[in-house]
Amino acid sequence: MREAEAGDAPRFLDRLRAGETAAFEELVITYQHRVFGVAARMLGNAAEAQEVAQEAFLRAHRGLAEFRGDAKLSTWLYAITSRLCLNRLATAERRQHRQGEETLLQLAGGERPDAAVERSELEAALHRAIAELPEERRIVVVLRDLEGLAYEEIAEVLDLELGTVRSRLHRARADLKDKLERFLP
Amino acid sequence: MTCHDARESLSAFLDEALAPDERREVAAHLEGCPDCRRELARLEQTVALLRRVEPVRAPVGFVDRVTEAARPRPWYRRAAAAIFVPFSVKLPAEATALVMVALLAVYVFERTPALQESARQEPTAREAAREKVAGPAPATGLVGRPARVEPSTPRSTESPAALRKQEQDRRDAGDVAPSVAQSAPAPPKPEVAPAPPPATPRSETAPALSAPAAPAPAGPRASGELAKEKEAESRQAENRQRPAESSADAARGAPAAPGLAAKRAAPRDVVAAIAARDRDAAERDLTELIARVGGRETGRRREEEATVVEAVVPQARYAEFTQGLARLGAWRMEAERPDLPAQVHVILRRQ
Repeated sequence: MREAEAGDAPRFLDRLRAGETAAFEELVITYQHRVFGVAARMLGNAAEAQEVAQEAFLRAHRGLAEFRGDAKLSTWLYAITSRLCLNRLATAERRQHRQGEETLLQLAGGERPDAAVERSELEAALHRAIAELPEERRIVVVLRDLEGLAYEEIAEVLDLELGTVRSRLHRARADLKDKLERFLP
Repeated sequence: MTCHDARESLSAFLDEALAPDERREVAAHLEGCPDCRRELARLEQTVALLRRVEPVRAPVGFVDRVTEAARPRPWYRRAAAAIFVPFSVKLPAEATALVMVALLAVYVFERTPALQESARQEPTAREAAREKVAGPAPATGLVGRPARVEPSTPRSTESPAALRKQEQDRRDAGDVAPSVAQSAPAPPKPEVAPAPPPATPRSETAPALSAPAAPAPAGPRASGELAKEKEAESRQAENRQRPAESSADAARGAPAAPGLAAKRAAPRDVVAAIAARDRDAAERDLTELIARVGGRETGRRREEEATVVEAVVPQARYAEFTQGLARLGAWRMEAERPDLPAQVHVILRRQ
């Protein structure tokens, strides 16, 4: 499901730092779905998600020369994307798009299987439940349960203490558990 | 470990993210607590649901859009940004703009005689007012005579007549309200006698002004009445002779030179200053020039540093006249009406 982390090879980093266009394109190809996925889950709207994901890559492009390589490229990109999303969500001008969930459903499932009515209901409930989480909990659950990051990596991405990550994740999951009760066996 | 403590750690317990000691404690609690075990199971199922969510994929063409946006800008855009964006460049640009505006203001002032005249109005307004008062003064025996210029009467006199004139000056200079308020109801003061005719008549301005003026008073009158009459006369005369001057005043302007050139009563269409080394020769040449273009000299006054000449020049030969002026020396137009009449009244000041 995930693209390989081959982008962190030293040779590749050198090419990126040197401003090689092909290397940057390779970076975008490798991480586009992850970056876009986080933005889409956080913002709930495909158009905004695309805008933020593009901005995240452009910021990475401008900052590549200063990228020290201490963290993984993916961690760095997640950090940029998460910050952009949280900033955007904090702005007063942002308006919630009610059709955002539907847009995400289409993005997530592509063409819905005809016999998967129950599944689409579940997915709708899942998206809604995630979207209703407070932003600081939502980003943790997205990074952990949808993107598969380790606790330590989440702490690095969000610049949080490990205990804070644990606590926020636990509360987010407990909240989701209550909302998704009817889908649980 | 309480149920509350255990449940706080259940999420991390699921992810195997607890330290070994803590993990052992939670496991021990779970063995003896069916509620917490149920809670753990529900949490595990919730996480399983979350992980079933289809991953979101970036739209088709996203990579192309990003790489296009990241492409370096064309050189001209980068150059424009380099020129205009940095603060260190913008600041001098603004300073340059301020200097240019200042230079433009000076240039417009230089090129606009009306502005220059209005700037000079302050010192000459009082003098002009004095001239108006003096117009219908008793020495109107010269009314109808061709214009002639004589040295003006010294104004430093402290006589009652002079004081009354000063009062008149204030009215004419626009300080009307207090003057009227004070002078109208004031009884005539016996000690302020009518001024005797000045030795040098001040009314020797252009005949056009003096001609319609009322005859001089036959004898001494009460000073208040006399002053009011004089004021009325001078205003009437001014209105009759210069009907268009109120609007065209700025264009015609008050001449810069004191004395004769400052007389507002004199019709003047052109005011010019000319610089010549030899004063006598220049005056001679000027006389010849005026005669040559068919004009006539209507007044002349020699002052310590300047000679002021009044003349009337036919408009048809005005161009020839100015060309002749240029041959006499460096000259400068100080005021010129845009629509010159058939007979152009010129005031020349030789410096």
